[in-house]
Amino acid sequence: MSVAPTSGPVASSMPDTSEAAGIYVHIPFCLTRCGYCDFNAYAGLDGLKPRYLRAVLTEASLAAPSWDGVRVASVFVGGGTPTTMEPADLKALLAHLRDRFAVDDDAEVTIEANPDTVDESAFEQLVSAGYHRVSLGAQSFDLAVLERLERVHSPSSVRTAVAAARRAGMRNLNLDLIYGVDGESVESWERSLREAVALAPDHVSAYALTIEPATPLGRQVASGARPAPDPDAQAEMFELACGVLRDAGYHHYEVSNWAKPGFECRHNLGYWQRRPYVGLGAGAHSYRDTTRWWNARPPETYLARVAAGELPIAGSETLEPGDAYLEEVFLKLRILEGVPSAWFEPASYERFVDAGLLVDDLGTLVPTERGMLLLNELVLGLTAD
Amino acid sequence: MATDTSHIRNFCIVAHIDHGKSTLADRLLELTHTVEDRAMRAQYLDKMDLERERGITIKAQAVRLLHEGYELNLIDTPGHVDFTYEVSRSLAACEGAVLLVDAAQGLEAQTLANYHLARDAGLTIVPVLNKIDLPAAEPDRRRDELAKLLDADPGEILAVSAKTGEGVDELLRAVVERVPAPGGDADRPVRALIFDSAFDPYRGVITYLRVKDGTLPSYAKIKMFATRVVSDAEETGVMAPEATPVDALGPGEVGYLVTGLKDVHQAKVGDTITLAGKLGATDPLPGYREPKPMVWSGLFPAEGGDYAELREALDKLKLSDSALVYEPEVSQALGFGFRVGFLGLLHMDIVRERLEREFGLELISTAPNVEFHVFKDDETTIVHNPAEMPAGANYDKVEEPVVFATVITPSDHLGAVLDLCQERRGEMVDMTYITPERVEVHYVLPLAEIVFDFFDQLKSRTRGYASLDYEPWGYQESELVRVDVLLHGDPVDAFSSVIHRDKAYAYGRQMTERLKELIPRQLFDVAVQASIGSRIIARETVKAKRKDVLAKCYGGDITRKRKLLETQKKGKERLRRIGRVDVPQEAFIAALRVDGSGSRKR
Repeated sequence: MSVAPTSGPVASSMPDTSEAAGIYVHIPFCLTRCGYCDFNAYAGLDGLKPRYLRAVLTEASLAAPSWDGVRVASVFVGGGTPTTMEPADLKALLAHLRDRFAVDDDAEVTIEANPDTVDESAFEQLVSAGYHRVSLGAQSFDLAVLERLERVHSPSSVRTAVAAARRAGMRNLNLDLIYGVDGESVESWERSLREAVALAPDHVSAYALTIEPATPLGRQVASGARPAPDPDAQAEMFELACGVLRDAGYHHYEVSNWAKPGFECRHNLGYWQRRPYVGLGAGAHSYRDTTRWWNARPPETYLARVAAGELPIAGSETLEPGDAYLEEVFLKLRILEGVPSAWFEPASYERFVDAGLLVDDLGTLVPTERGMLLLNELVLGLTAD
Repeated sequence: MATDTSHIRNFCIVAHIDHGKSTLADRLLELTHTVEDRAMRAQYLDKMDLERERGITIKAQAVRLLHEGYELNLIDTPGHVDFTYEVSRSLAACEGAVLLVDAAQGLEAQTLANYHLARDAGLTIVPVLNKIDLPAAEPDRRRDELAKLLDADPGEILAVSAKTGEGVDELLRAVVERVPAPGGDADRPVRALIFDSAFDPYRGVITYLRVKDGTLPSYAKIKMFATRVVSDAEETGVMAPEATPVDALGPGEVGYLVTGLKDVHQAKVGDTITLAGKLGATDPLPGYREPKPMVWSGLFPAEGGDYAELREALDKLKLSDSALVYEPEVSQALGFGFRVGFLGLLHMDIVRERLEREFGLELISTAPNVEFHVFKDDETTIVHNPAEMPAGANYDKVEEPVVFATVITPSDHLGAVLDLCQERRGEMVDMTYITPERVEVHYVLPLAEIVFDFFDQLKSRTRGYASLDYEPWGYQESELVRVDVLLHGDPVDAFSSVIHRDKAYAYGRQMTERLKELIPRQLFDVAVQASIGSRIIARETVKAKRKDVLAKCYGGDITRKRKLLETQKKGKERLRRIGRVDVPQEAFIAALRVDGSGSRKR
C-alpha cells in the first residue's frame, strides 16, 4: 500500500512505526475566561460536557484506524481546564484511547489542571486512572499579578494543590508560570520563581506574556487602556529565570521550558522534533508526514460533525518542502537539538556565532540563551535567500 | 475670414484660488451660448482630472466666446507662483484683465502680484468683486479697499455673483467697452506668441498662441525662433470651447496650432512662431525665457527594480511638461534614481503624483533643495544635490537663491508673519497698510526657507488668513553648511542637507530624534548621528533588540508561527541595508517628509 499523504489525513494511512506519535485531547471548558487567553476555551458551556465526552470517544474510534500500527508514546489532555471534567470521565477517556490506539504501557500521560479544580481525592483518582504527570497553571505567586491576569486562584491554592498531588502519588509535576504582565516588577518575578522552585516541581514552563489581539487584554492594549508588555523587561525576566532555574538544577531544554534531568516533556518534544500527533476534540490539530489538519473550533460544530458520524476536520495544509524546511529550522532551534550548520552559508550564521547568539557545536548550530530570546531574528537570518 | 481686429477682445481673469474664476468662466460660456445648456458641466474648462481635484488650473487655455458681434478670447492663466513665467506669457497675449476678488475675503497676495504683472504688461484692468450673494460678503468695504489698492475709481468696480449669474452681463459689456482692441498689422510677416503648449498622443505638440502680426494659415511651414526648429504645421483652430479648425488665424486672434512636432521642448512657452523661409519675420517677439528649475529632489523607485520604469515614465512626462528636467543619480542608500528639477513645490507635487498615479510607481523622494553656487579658488560649481556639496566648509563662499516675497495679512496676525519671516532669515523690504485691517509686507527670503514648510507655517500661524507670493530675486552669499546623517558610522547620502549654520544643530537634533523613532531595533546598538564634516553635532542611540521570539509553540501554533515568520521575512526583504543597519522604506519616506507634509495647495 503506498497512498501518498497529499489528499488529507485519511489518505495518510501508511503506517510509520519508526516514529512514535502523541495524542492530544482538547477539553474546551473553563470556570472563567482569563483576559489574556486566546485558546479554544469557554466558560458556561458545562451543559455540553456529557455530549462532548461521548463525541471525543467517537472521534477517537473514527480516527484510530488510520493510525493503525503507529506507536503512541504520549497522551496529553489539555484545554481549557480538563479537570473541570469528572475524574471518572477522564478515566473512561484514557481507557478508550488505550483501547483504540497502540499506547505504550509506559507512555507519558499528562493532564492540565487549574489549582482550584483539584483536591487530593481527585488527584488519587487521576493517578489510579493512569495520569501520572500533571501540569498546574500556577502562573504567578504574586496575588496582584494573578489579578492582572484575571486568574481566580490564589498563591496558597497552588501550594495546596502541589502538596495534594504529591500525596496522591503524582510522580511528575509541572508548574506553568507567566511573566511580564504590566505592573509586574523584576523583583516580584524573582519571588514567584523562588516560590515555584521551593515547591520542587519536576518541570517548569515559564512564558513571556504575549498579547493576542482577539482577547479582552488585546483589546485593552490596542485601545491604550493598558500598556503592552515591555520587551526589554521581559528579556530581563527571561534571563533571571534562566539563572534561578539553572541554579536550582533545572535543565533549559526549550525556549520556555525547564526540567529536572529525565523529566523533559516527551509529548511537547514531539511537536518540536516534528513527530506525528493526533489531535482529538474541538479545534485540535493533527500532523503526520507532510500534512497538518485541524478540527472545527466551535464546540457545537464539533459535536454536530461527530454526531453525523464523520471526522470533524475543518481544514488542512500540505507542507511544501520550503515550509517543512522552515519548520524544521525554527522548531529545532527552539530545543537544544539545533540544526546542521551545513544547511547554511557560513556568512549567514557566523555573525550570530560572533554575536554570542548561536554556538557551532561540531557542525550543529544551537542557540544560546540570548539567542533563544532572538530566535525569530536567527531563523530569518539563517533562512534568508 | 479672420475677424476685424476692432471686434476682437483678448482678456484673462486674474484671481486667487477659490475666488470663483472657474465658476465665472462657466457663466461666460453659458451667457454667450458657447456651450449649450445641456452640455454644460461645472468647471468646464478645467479638463485634466488632476486640475479638478486640486481646484487649480495648471495649464492655460484659451476659449473663444462670441458675444453681440464681438470675438472675446478668454485666456486662462495658471494660478500658482510656480508658474509665474507662464502667467506673464498669458498676460502678454491679452489687452485686458478681469481682476476677480472674493467680496468676503478681499485681495490676496498672489492676485496682487499678478495684478502688478498685468499692469506692468500694460493691460487694462477690469476690477470685479465676486460672491456678492454670500452672507459674509462685504462689497462696500472691499470696494473701497480695492479702489485704494488699484488707485481706481470705486465706481469702476463691478459686483457680480458668478454662482447666480448676477452682474455677469454687465461684466461682458465692460470687457467690450473698456478693453482695447488688439493692434497688429495683417501685412507684416507672421509673428505669434506661444503662451501654452501641450502634447497630444495622436496629434503631437499643440501650441496655444496669440497672433501679433500677419496671418497664420493652416498647413504652413513654420519656424520656432528659440529652438530654430522648422516644421509642417497641420491645423489652425480655435477652442469654442472644443477644438474647432479654422482656415487661418489673423492678427489679434487667439487659437491653437497643431505644429507637427513630437516634442514639447521644441515649442516652448514664450517662443515666437513665424513662417519658415523668406516669408518669415526676422526678429522674435520680446520676452522669451528658458524655463528654469527652482527646486530639486531625488526621486527613487521604492522597489529598486523599477528604475527602468521610472526612466520611461519621466521620458513620457517630459513630452507634455517642458519645464521638467532630470538627470540620473546614484544614491548609496536609495540606489538608482533621478535628480529632478521643478519650477516649484507645486510642480514637484504634481509630477510626483502623476508618476505614482499614471505610471503606478511607488517612489521615495528626498527632501527638496534649491540650487547652490559654490565658489572655490577660481571655480564655480552649481550644486543640485546636497550630497555633492563639499563637506566641512571647504570652499571660499556659497550662494543661495533668494526670492522677493509678498505677504498680505490681516493686521491682527502681522506679528506672527514678521516673526516667521525673521526666523526664516528674511530681510524686510517694506510694509504698507492697505487698509487699517490689512497689511502688505515685502521680504527678501532665501528660497530654501520657503521650500521648507514656510507656507504651512504661514497658514497655521495666521489661521489661514495670510497669503503669499514670491518671485526669483537672484543669489546671495550665505553661511551654509552640509549636515550629514550617519547610521552606525556610515553616512546616508539621501539624508544629507544643506542648512544655514545657525540652524544646523536644531536640524541635526530633529533628524536624529526622528530617525531614532523610525529605525527598528537591530541586534546591536545603532548610533544615529548628525555631523558637519567630521564634527558630530547630535547623537541618538537605537538600543539593541533583546527579545523577538514566540513564547509558546505547540501543536496548533506551528502553522500560525510559520506564517508569521513568512510575513516577517517579506518585511525584511523590503529593508534597505545601510552599512550594517536595516532601514525600512517607511523610515526613508517619513524622515524625508518636509514638516507638516505641506507644500500642497497655496
